[in-house]
Amino acid sequence: MAGIEKVPAPRSGAHTVIGSSIVIDGEISGDEDLVIQGTVKGRISLRESLYVEGSGVIEADIETANVEVSGQVTGNIAASDKVELKADCKVVGDIRAPRILIADGAQFKGNVDMDVKETKGK
Amino acid sequence: MTVTTSDGSTIIGESILISGSLNGDEDLTVRGRVEGTLTLTKTLVVEPTGVVKAEVQVKNCVIAGAIVGNVTASESVEITREGRMVGDINAPRVIIVDGASFRGRIDMGEVDVEAERETRTLSSRPAPLPARPALRPAPRPTPIERKVEEKTVAVAASKPPAPPSPVAMGAVKRKVIVKHK
Repeated sequence: MAGIEKVPAPRSGAHTVIGSSIVIDGEISGDEDLVIQGTVKGRISLRESLYVEGSGVIEADIETANVEVSGQVTGNIAASDKVELKADCKVVGDIRAPRILIADGAQFKGNVDMDVKETKGK
Repeated sequence: MTVTTSDGSTIIGESILISGSLNGDEDLTVRGRVEGTLTLTKTLVVEPTGVVKAEVQVKNCVIAGAIVGNVTASESVEITREGRMVGDINAPRVIIVDGASFRGRIDMGEVDVEAERETRTLSSRPAPLPARPALRPAPRPTPIERKVEEKTVAVAASKPPAPPSPVAMGAVKRKVIVKHK
């Protein structure tokens, strides 16, 4: 079961967790890792990693360095480093990141843009 | 400062800003910022680094950080030594400790001073019962009422009733012992 995996202690010390019964409608921004087990609608912009756990539901545009999805995401994801879709996740939306990993069992619908330099084509 | 990372509780970290509405059925610890509305069925803890600019509706609220906005709690609101708050509080229990700063109104609900005074005067006049131990300072009585009270005391003194205060003390003691067990 790829459910709740313990996230390694973040560098910034503080550790933000949005619990499973929490519903946020609006905007979340910050400079530290964020673990989401609840529901977030609106917008998320971080400079660190976002972990959407199995119970997490996101209907938002996401802008972060890293994203790791085990839950559901509806919205566009833009990451400066990496997006990882784990098994059992459901993602609908466009993903834009230099590194994108999609695990076996992940469900995904949308465009993928890895920022491949198309210098040869042009 | 306690650093608890128990599962199932929500922590808003220091650098996190949430603007919008936040609803939930679990404890929430705020070390960052929350703006908008905040509705919980459990306890909100605003830690010293936390700033909440929101309409807050919770069961319990512990403020060690800053809140700007109105707080409605179904149980209690506590402003700790480090807590700062500007806004109105509506809760049956409000605790403000020394060192806390607060500006606003407090509504504890059923504090009906007028009604209490009426019941007191009514009960003291017809039946001179041994007065209950003064749990709270008596409302300023009119001169006539004072005379009545003095009479009551005199009557009560002639046939000494069991002093109520030691009984109450004993009860409290017993309760404490039970709690310790």
